[in-house]
Parts: sequence; C-alpha cells; structure tokens
Amino acid sequence: MSLMKNQANPWLTSNLLVLGLGMLPALLLIGVLLYFTAWAFAFSFTDLALVGRKSVEWSWVGLQNFERLFTRRGFLESLWTTVIFVFFSAIVGQSVLGFLLAALLRGTQSTIKTVVEVCIMLGWLLPDIVAAFLWSATTSQTGLINSLIIVPLGFPPVNFINDYALPVVTIANIWKGTAWSYLLFSAALDSVSREVVEAAKVDGATAFQRIWLVMLPIIRPHIATNMLFITIWTFTYFPLIFAMTGGGPGTQTQTLAVFLYNQSFSRGNLGFGSAISVAMLVIVGLLSLVYLRMLREPK
Amino acid sequence: MEANPAHSRLTAIALAFMALIWVSPFSWLFLNAFDPAATGRLAIPQSVGLDNFAQAISGNAGRQFLNSMLIAAGTATLSVVVGIAAAYPLSRLKIPGRNAFLWTLVLLRMLPSAGVLVPLYFAAQRGGLLNQFGVIIALTILNLPFTLLLLKNFFDTVPIELEEAAYVEGASLFQIVTRIVLPMSRAGIAVVWFFSFTGAWNEFLLPLIFSRVEAGFPMSVGLYAAFGQQGSVQYGFLAAYSIIYAAPAVGVYFLLRRNMNTGFAGVGVKG
Repeated sequence: MSLMKNQANPWLTSNLLVLGLGMLPALLLIGVLLYFTAWAFAFSFTDLALVGRKSVEWSWVGLQNFERLFTRRGFLESLWTTVIFVFFSAIVGQSVLGFLLAALLRGTQSTIKTVVEVCIMLGWLLPDIVAAFLWSATTSQTGLINSLIIVPLGFPPVNFINDYALPVVTIANIWKGTAWSYLLFSAALDSVSREVVEAAKVDGATAFQRIWLVMLPIIRPHIATNMLFITIWTFTYFPLIFAMTGGGPGTQTQTLAVFLYNQSFSRGNLGFGSAISVAMLVIVGLLSLVYLRMLREPK
Repeated sequence: MEANPAHSRLTAIALAFMALIWVSPFSWLFLNAFDPAATGRLAIPQSVGLDNFAQAISGNAGRQFLNSMLIAAGTATLSVVVGIAAAYPLSRLKIPGRNAFLWTLVLLRMLPSAGVLVPLYFAAQRGGLLNQFGVIIALTILNLPFTLLLLKNFFDTVPIELEEAAYVEGASLFQIVTRIVLPMSRAGIAVVWFFSFTGAWNEFLLPLIFSRVEAGFPMSVGLYAAFGQQGSVQYGFLAAYSIIYAAPAVGVYFLLRRNMNTGFAGVGVKG
C-alpha cells in the first residue's frame, strides 16, 4: 500500500477518515466544475434556448452550431477582433511596458520606484467596471483628453469611444493590466544574479546588450509564464469592453467573450453560445500547449 | 545603468511623466466626486461637499455595497475554509492519483469562466439559486482550483518535523492543525483570502446574469446599470460611487503591500 509511507506520521494515519471527510466538499465542488464543463460540450450540440419553447423542448442538432460558427457572420470577425485586442493590449502593451519598467527600475530603491509601482498598481486594483467608467469619462467629448489636449490645440472635440473604439479599449486594458507583468518581471529580474550582469558589463556589453543577451535568456521561463497567463486572461476578458462599448459601435469591439454573452443572454441562443465557449476552450487549450512547450524547452 | 547620472536623471523624468499620465484619469474622478454640482466636465468645483458620497451610501446604492460585501466575504471565506480542509491532506498524504488531481486543478484554473457560464446559469435557474447565495456558490466553484493549489503550496512549506514534535508531546490532529499549521501559513492564507475577496468583489459577469432586481445587485452591476442609463447621467454620484466601490480592494492592498507583492510573485512563478 502507498499509505505505508505515512507510517512515520501517526497523527495522519490514525485520522484518515477525518482527513478524507475534510477533502469531500472540495472534491464535490471540483466534480461539479468538471461536470459543468462536460455539460457545456453537450449543450453545444443542441438548440437549447434561454426562453420560449426551445428552453424546454430542445433537441439534438449535431454539428449545426459549429457549422454556423464558420458559415455565419460573427464568430470569425470576433475571433479576429480578439486576436488584435490580445496582441496589442496584452503582448505588446502590458508585457513590453511591464518589462521595460521592471528593467529600468531594477535594483533601485528610490522614491521614483515606489511612485511608479503605486501608480500602475492603482489601475490594476481598480474594479473592472470602475476602470470602464473612468475611461469612458476620460475619452468622452467633454473628458480629460479633449479638454486638456484636443480643444486647447484648436481642434473640435473628438468622440474617441465612438470613432476609435478598439484603440481606446486596448489602451484602457494596457493601463489596467500592466502591473501584473511588471510585478512578475520585477521578481524575475531580481533573481538574475548580479555577478552575471556585472561580468557582461566588464566584457563591454552595452545596457541594451545586457538586457537582450544576458537577462532575457535567463528569465525566459518567466516570460513564457507571463505570456500564458495574460494571453488567457485577455482572450476571455469581458467586463471592461462590455461596460465601455457593449461590443460596439456595430461589432467593432465585439471580442469572443462579448459575442458569447450577446448570443447566449441577449439573443438567448444557449446552444450556439455553448458552441462559442467550446471553441474558446479549444483555442485557450491550444495556446496553453504552445506556451507550456516554450516553458519546457532547454535554454 | 547607475554609472551615468545624466542618463538616469532623464530616465527618472520619463518615469515620473509616465506615472503622471497613469494617474491623470483619477483627477477627473475626484473633482467630480467632491463637487455637488458635478456635470462630468473637467472643472474646478465651485463648492466642495460630500453630498455625492451621502447619496452613494444611502438607499439602493447602500444596499448594493452590502451585497458586494456579502458576496466577496462569503466567497473568500467559503473557498478558504473548503480549500484548507482539502489542501492539508493533499499536502501531507501520498494519496494515489494525487498528481493527476493536481494537474486537473492546474487545467481547471486556466479554464475561462465564460466556458461554463451557460451550464452554471442553467443549474442555478433549476435550483432556484439565481440570487446572491447562488453567486457565492458559483464563484467558490470557479475559484476553488486556484485556492486549493495555492494553499497546498503554502502548507508544503510548513516543516513536518514541527508536527512530529507536537504529536510526541501528545497533541491531537486538530491541535496540530490549529496551533501549528494554520499559524505558520497565516500570511499565505491571508493572501489567498484577499485574492478571493477582490476577485469576487470585482466580479461582474456572474452577478449580471444571476441578479434580477436592482436591490440584489452588487456594486459592479449597480455601477454598470447606472452609467449605462442614457439621458441625465449623474456624474457626481457615479464618481463618488466608484470611489467607494474601489476603496476596499485598494485600501487592503496598500495595508498589506509587502506581503502581497511576494504573494503575487509566488502565484505567477509557481504556475
């Protein structure tokens, strides 16, 4: 028995029943979560609806929902919007900015470090809906950007949220999420030994070379971890965009999460909505595999 | 990088400028919140008052604050209690299939909550749980993989020799857990609780779908419903409401800042 290994810990082996009972609620809830995931897959093959006759008398429709993903307008456009949003706000914006800040502030214990940390953390700690409200107000026709920059320069006020919806939500998400990448890279750079960096300096490496050729390869696992997390989060991120634009104007900012909500709960197509969520799960799963491979590859 | 003072001063100025841009949206928020006659424009208030805040803690707005507190504290406490009860055996016993279970948790943690939204809604509707209690249970279910993994990691760092010593002295399992394991992982448990609390406090999508009446909204849905309304937008009220809504998460973070940064790093690097 594998339990033999626990012979040395009699307070555990004599209380196996109690410990087992303690695990029960968690196992039950995890089981429910697994069950729901399986359910989402099953729903995606039905025409289940939120209200009306089909909310009770639903039927199996085979792969029809998945065919609709590719034949009707909506899914592919949303997928493209999501890719653009993830690429510019998470990978380019949060990751690069977070890394630059971490590299610049590395090893310093100055006031400026505290100030920058507190400032970017404020964005991160703010509830999503408050951030959405703040950015709607900041970019509105009477908001901060118009009244401080555009109008004093003699231009007519710009309705940013309407005319540049995707860039505005992208910037709002960079503003909100950079702190995470910064903290992770900051911790990673602290683990790079000072001697290695000093040695490179003695050998005549410039600041840029020290970052690009010495530090980056060492913290590669952290970069992969960071990419994994922020890509998945941003890919499925819902509240900020939904509260700022609702996916509009038109479908300009309709990412997959917003598309899923609109189809499932505004239109009431729960079956089709489940197909969208299955597609999202598959995409997230594939992305995770790619990043986990990156994580495991030798330096 | 410290070698060149001119270069580092330039960097400092650039960083300070960036920090200024980063916090500038807040200027608008505070100007409007403390101006009883706020119009949503960026302007110095004619008079300063707390009328907006008084409005934002009375009536439905006040009830929404309590709803948020209930949901966030309920979710955090429930996930931590359920998590501790399972994480300790997981950390100490060599249960067959433990690794497979832990990997399942890692995968479930990456699962986007949007993926199980439809079944969650359906189950809650059938079970009559389209209310705050349902939100607490749903959020706990979604939060548990994360809580469990993190608590197990914290328990792993408690040296088992201490427990052996306590057992030799005649301590029971309950005493060992409550007197040694929990106090020694206090900081970790606090971080997990705080994470779960802010996560549930911020949560928007689930309560949006689960709450049917305005009195049952948490603050996230309340704020969304208020600024989504077309027509006369009460900017002063919304700004004050936002500040009250944002205050607990921001406040607790800065109280526990030192612990938190370590915790964040741990969350990320341990995967």
